[in-house]
Amino acid sequence: MKKKLNLAPVFFVGPHVILFAVFVLLPTIYGIYASFTKWNLMNEPVWVGLDNYKTILFNTESTFHTQFQNGLKNTFIFVGLSVPLLIVIPLMIAVALEHKKVKMKNVIQSILYIPGLISISAAALIWLLIFNKQLGITGNIFGSQIAWPTNQPYAWLIIIVITVWGGVGGNMIIYRASISGVAKELYESAELDGAGSIRRFASITLPSIRFPLIYTFVMTTAGAFNVFGQPLMMTDGGPRQSTHVLMMYIRQLAFGNGESIAGMASAMAVLLGLIILVISALQYYVMNRNAA
Amino acid sequence: MKKKTLFSSLVLVLSLTTVLAGCSNEDKNMITFWTPLTGDDGAYMDQLVKDYNATNPEVKVKHVITADMYTKVSTVLNSGKGVPDLAIIHADRVPGFVKQGVLEPMTDLIKAQPELKQDNYLPQAWSTGTVDGTQYTIPLDIHSNVMYYNKDLLKKYNAESFLDDNVVTIDEMLSLQGKLDEGDYIVNDALLGWVILAQIQNLGGDIQENGKPAVNTPVMKQALESVKKVADAGLMTPFGEDGYLMFQSGNVLFSTDGTWSSTAHAGVEGLNFGVTNVYSAAPDKFTNRSSSHLFTMLKNKDRTEAKVAGIGNFLEFIRTNSLEWAKAGQIVASKQVNESPEYKDYMQSFFTSNEKEIQSLYIYTYEYYPYIAEAVDTYCGDIVRGNVDIDETLQTMQKFVEDKIAEGSSGAK
Repeated sequence: MKKKLNLAPVFFVGPHVILFAVFVLLPTIYGIYASFTKWNLMNEPVWVGLDNYKTILFNTESTFHTQFQNGLKNTFIFVGLSVPLLIVIPLMIAVALEHKKVKMKNVIQSILYIPGLISISAAALIWLLIFNKQLGITGNIFGSQIAWPTNQPYAWLIIIVITVWGGVGGNMIIYRASISGVAKELYESAELDGAGSIRRFASITLPSIRFPLIYTFVMTTAGAFNVFGQPLMMTDGGPRQSTHVLMMYIRQLAFGNGESIAGMASAMAVLLGLIILVISALQYYVMNRNAA
Repeated sequence: MKKKTLFSSLVLVLSLTTVLAGCSNEDKNMITFWTPLTGDDGAYMDQLVKDYNATNPEVKVKHVITADMYTKVSTVLNSGKGVPDLAIIHADRVPGFVKQGVLEPMTDLIKAQPELKQDNYLPQAWSTGTVDGTQYTIPLDIHSNVMYYNKDLLKKYNAESFLDDNVVTIDEMLSLQGKLDEGDYIVNDALLGWVILAQIQNLGGDIQENGKPAVNTPVMKQALESVKKVADAGLMTPFGEDGYLMFQSGNVLFSTDGTWSSTAHAGVEGLNFGVTNVYSAAPDKFTNRSSSHLFTMLKNKDRTEAKVAGIGNFLEFIRTNSLEWAKAGQIVASKQVNESPEYKDYMQSFFTSNEKEIQSLYIYTYEYYPYIAEAVDTYCGDIVRGNVDIDETLQTMQKFVEDKIAEGSSGAK
């Protein structure tokens, strides 16, 4: 007897597969194809093989090589600065909110979460005013005599501040949800055995939320590599292109002034994608192995 | 059984594509009109379109504001579907678009509308759309880099005489060195790249030589250095500070922003301001680097003759009725409008008040101007502030432009 065909899975998975194929898979494949071409978005792409990659990676004379190098360097700086903060701060808040004496936990949670819902451009305008030399706190309260967006290290500082402000909420919610799933008995018995709060955090909380930690770490890192809005709005890449991240160069090449240089932009994007892929895989591998 | 799965997934795909395709149903009796005009500009254009549709034309116009228009234009041109019937593009896009063959000549349309001709528009706004004798665009406006001045501050510092000959020179500005109160400045750095590009004209140079980009030139260096003098003397608003805001708060004598800012300045209480030409490195010449909004038809084989006739009617309506556009602060290109008495009420009428002023509105039409403008915008701030070595940076800029050109379609080996 033949097994009766079950259509239910098709209906559940089908729409997602189609949307994935149309909006993610095909554009990705086309993007990879475009990276091997010279293309201005208007005419037919012209196949140039590995030329774009050679220029970006090895032609030290080329503007695109310098742009890629500088963009990648700045992106790494951003990732290095922002990711630890986006993991540690939400984790600490989530743990702190678990304390019995903390009141209005949901209100605090909402307040911390809301910034993530505000668009970067709107938020950046507010933060730029806050950091404005004449109108904001930097000049009036801290007595700072320099314009922060055009001087390092302040330019990075304000980019990180707005990133953390906007990004804390998301990870915090994940941590809170997973911490609340940890059996209370574990804490109680640990307390009876004389474990202090730090010991309980290190020996119970952290191992129990291992997977959410890996997940947020990998996702936050991948997201941070794609940074674009914050430096664009806060510093416009300055001073002297020291906060000009790779995504800004990619966008400028493909959709900037004049004729588009989409092939080169695609090649840069593919390289960035590869870097994210490798680093994410590495993170997952290392964390999973250590945790196991 | 396998067939059934295939069938059901096919149904799913088909139904989905129908739903998606439903989005692009085009109205046969409607001119789709795309513009990149966001903000207030879009609202004024909406009003113009509404006024036109109120005249009950055979084919009405539907105005669609697309913030990322140039990206969308390349997408629709690539697929050939959903190409708008009419669009507004910026002057610096014309040479590239014509070269790529994506603009429809206006020849037939102009034949049907005899008043759509060069004599009825500001000359450079019209000629920007002329390539090898063929007209590809009809101008809406010129929008320019201009210089606003704070009347009260000019009086306070006894500098009203600067305006006498309509040329505020860099030397005149430097004469106020050491005479300003703390916190006051002569000029801000708004649209600094445009100001530099104007100086190149003032100094008799150009951005190209026989079709090749000329960025690393003595004239460019001179232009940058003369503006740098102002910054070095401490007369320019400090780097990284919002000079535009400082002008509005009454601490800066001159602000070199755009025609379109006049409405925003007018909204500032107590700001007593006027408008003049951008300062000049030369004593006898002034230039206001400009661009233009131009109506154009992107190549679209589905555009019917009725629609082309409708577009002609609409453009003729705009030519005669675009006073509304003056409210957006722009210099209206149609002579019928900019020579009308009502137009004189608008501040920007200064720039069409005489022949010399009209000539000062300079639109770069060099094919690779966008790359050069990008290079200048990227690097001029740091050069003027002395953060980088000027010779080295000029080399970088030249290379920047050349590399980009080499990657373009025309640069293909």
